[in-house]
Amino acid sequence: MSIHHTGPYVPYAVRHAPAVAPVDVYGTIWCAATQAVRRHLERHGVLYRYVDIECDPAAAARLRWTTGGYLSHPTVSVAGEVLVEPSLNELDGALGRAGLI
Amino acid sequence: MEGKPYARRLVELEERFGELEPRIPDCSEKEALSVLHGMVQELWRNLRSGGPAPSPGGLNVEDIADLHRTAPPTEGEAESAPLPAGTRAPHFTLSDANARQVSLSDFAGRSVVLVFYPLDWSPTCSDQLSLYQTEQDEFDRRGVQVVGISVDSLYSHRAWAAVRRLSFPLLADFKPKGEVARRYHVWRTGDGFSERALYVIDEDGTIQYSHVSPKLDHVPDIYELYRVLDRVSAGESAGSASSGRPPQN
Repeated sequence: MSIHHTGPYVPYAVRHAPAVAPVDVYGTIWCAATQAVRRHLERHGVLYRYVDIECDPAAAARLRWTTGGYLSHPTVSVAGEVLVEPSLNELDGALGRAGLI
Repeated sequence: MEGKPYARRLVELEERFGELEPRIPDCSEKEALSVLHGMVQELWRNLRSGGPAPSPGGLNVEDIADLHRTAPPTEGEAESAPLPAGTRAPHFTLSDANARQVSLSDFAGRSVVLVFYPLDWSPTCSDQLSLYQTEQDEFDRRGVQVVGISVDSLYSHRAWAAVRRLSFPLLADFKPKGEVARRYHVWRTGDGFSERALYVIDEDGTIQYSHVSPKLDHVPDIYELYRVLDRVSAGESAGSASSGRPPQN
């Protein structure tokens, strides 16, 4: 099987996935639910990347692309699962499936 | 940090999907792909959660706690600026959710975070005060008392605190309506409720920090609040972060 790609992305064969499941939090500084998610991750010692969608237009476009057009915050990506405005219980479920808690 | 095995292929597919976004010009096909991706994620999420739990016999407590998620938001620009740091905090005595009279002076010797918020049950207020409840250990660690104030009655406070499991005092600025909010320069006459505002008052009763959210649905940054509390605890002046309008007289 050949892998056909025309863009700059790296094919699976040579892609270096991180040793730990990646967690991205898309949010805003003034959103209480975003703050709650970030603090929840910190309490569990889960490393995450915080993306302020008001400071990063490209990230905002990526979020719309991922969620079907919604600029919803927080949106949390846990090891490929995209959770739009998750409850903390839902977030824990995804973190558990990813082996992060 | 070592983790357990996870669905690496899914991560890679998700990353690849994300990388495609800037390469596709805006068009209806792009929108359709985005919607499909959103549908797949939501379907998967529903399968994982088993969907909403049925509530025979009506709403349960969790349903009521989640009502704010679909409630109309409180919206609007800030109309006032708070009292500046260095001002003596105005005195007040208000009823809490258990009909006890609570005064600012009751907290003498302890720093207070005075949280003015528009209304019980509203979306942003529900999230904001739940956040402070979750963070209670951080406030305790800093020796800080959180106190909420809104124009709601003690009966509303009592029910809302029970549903959201809030343990810090909620005070009823109910009669005369908004009197304490007026003293603190955070009253919104046209709305009949207060701005979303924070005051950090030190153990001597002096305002060390004040903040009015520029928009009603904006919750102050908790990380900034912790920086303020740590500066106050260290004996440094924390200052004001106000909206654009000068203090009312």
